[in-house]
Amino acid sequence: MPSLGPQPFPGQEKRLRLLAFVRQDAVIRVDKRVEDTAMVWPHLLLIEFIVAMLWLVGLFIISALFNAPLQDVSSPDHTPNPSKAPWYLLNLQELLLHMDKALAGVIVPTILLFVFLPLIPYIDRSREGVGRYFTDKTGLRIFQFSAVYSTVLTFALIFIDYLAKKAGYIEWSSDHLPGGKQLFPNWLIPIGVMFGLSALLVFLVDRLFGATTRGKMIALFTGFVFVYVVLTFVGTSMRGPGMDLYAPWSLPPTIQ
Amino acid sequence: MLDLPTQAWEWVRRSYVWRSFFRHGYPDSRKNQSLAVFTNVFLHLHPVKVRRHALAIPYTWCMGGLSFFLFLVLTLTGTLLMFYYHPTTDLAYADIKDMETVVVFGQLLRNMHRWAAHGMVITVFLHMARVFYTGSYKPPREFNWVVGVLLFFLTILLSYTGYLLPWDQLAFWAVTVGYNIAAATPFIGNEVSYLLFGGFELGPNALLRFYVLHVVGLPVLAGFLMAIHFWRIRKDGGISGPL
Repeated sequence: MPSLGPQPFPGQEKRLRLLAFVRQDAVIRVDKRVEDTAMVWPHLLLIEFIVAMLWLVGLFIISALFNAPLQDVSSPDHTPNPSKAPWYLLNLQELLLHMDKALAGVIVPTILLFVFLPLIPYIDRSREGVGRYFTDKTGLRIFQFSAVYSTVLTFALIFIDYLAKKAGYIEWSSDHLPGGKQLFPNWLIPIGVMFGLSALLVFLVDRLFGATTRGKMIALFTGFVFVYVVLTFVGTSMRGPGMDLYAPWSLPPTIQ
Repeated sequence: MLDLPTQAWEWVRRSYVWRSFFRHGYPDSRKNQSLAVFTNVFLHLHPVKVRRHALAIPYTWCMGGLSFFLFLVLTLTGTLLMFYYHPTTDLAYADIKDMETVVVFGQLLRNMHRWAAHGMVITVFLHMARVFYTGSYKPPREFNWVVGVLLFFLTILLSYTGYLLPWDQLAFWAVTVGYNIAAATPFIGNEVSYLLFGGFELGPNALLRFYVLHVVGLPVLAGFLMAIHFWRIRKDGGISGPL
């Protein structure tokens, strides 16, 4: 005999009153099916609780083992070499080495954050593939292709820039190019490369996989993610004193 | 004797006072499970039922929820840190040193705040990637994606403004990089850097501005956007899933 719990408390039933009948087709039904549901209590709350506790314990352990960095008190006359931004901004700092400051530090991130990312749902308006990773097999292949494409090209571009500058390209450009070492090396070429390679990626996934709008968005977003990650990695582990390029395993320490 | 605790507990649960707090019995029936969720201000962020699909950890990896969880951890640890910190150039660094050597559990508190902040940048980014790759920005969730992008931007700003506060070499020169970028804004570079840093060099004004933005301005704005973000998840039909 169930003794606890299930019985309603005295007066409890009165709290659930029927206010109105609403016809089924009068309600906006947003992809919600009644049959395939689970109660939030206990199923979802249990998962949330366990995950939150695991992370809290993990955070405690990490915080007990590793101290947050603290260097000497700041002094404006004493510049560490190299001075680096926090790691999640090192992608921008890496970009600064390859184009004009305004382009790398302000224009590109502004376009990414306030134009490209917010516009995604307004360009790709089909409901194709909602709730499925990469939509389908083609989407997965587009993701893999774009990930390799952008990783390889980003490393290649950084390396080409490194070799070109080593070969005296800056000096050559200031003597031979209209606009000197500003117009072409710092503005036109980077803009052309960024737009050109993005357009080429869209063209390639269209040709190779017959990509839909969703597929093209997967290509562009994957490009963004992997360029972001590669630039962060290069900025963090491959830039030493003077922001020169080093192999990650032979990175010299910062000169304080 | 043995059932005395049970009886006492039962007496408490049936008391007038208890029932003024909780308007449902123990949630072991569908009705009480529903009431437990929608009569509780914290739990009613959730619907009473979710689609079974939404419970699968490999679908969301809990990244959105964990971002919010880390935000709460950061709010709590950050508030405690505020008791020991003066946002002035002569005291800030010494306060952090005191935190590490004098304040009880100060080092642990600072470590938790620091690592949770790094963690939140990662979880928010992964959450964004998950939402993108599962097509969860598609109708009717377009606007919530935009709110999410703004929240990603705020997360970066929160982390970055906090980075200056210890006022050590690491903080100073990392933020100097940002200062130089802001100053390079076309046409309004001077205005932007003056607005953000309160001057044309990194000094007391910059520290104060970053502090106020870090502890009040940006968290309030982020809280505001999070309210919209969570509300819209519910209004747009809950967590996304196959049609």
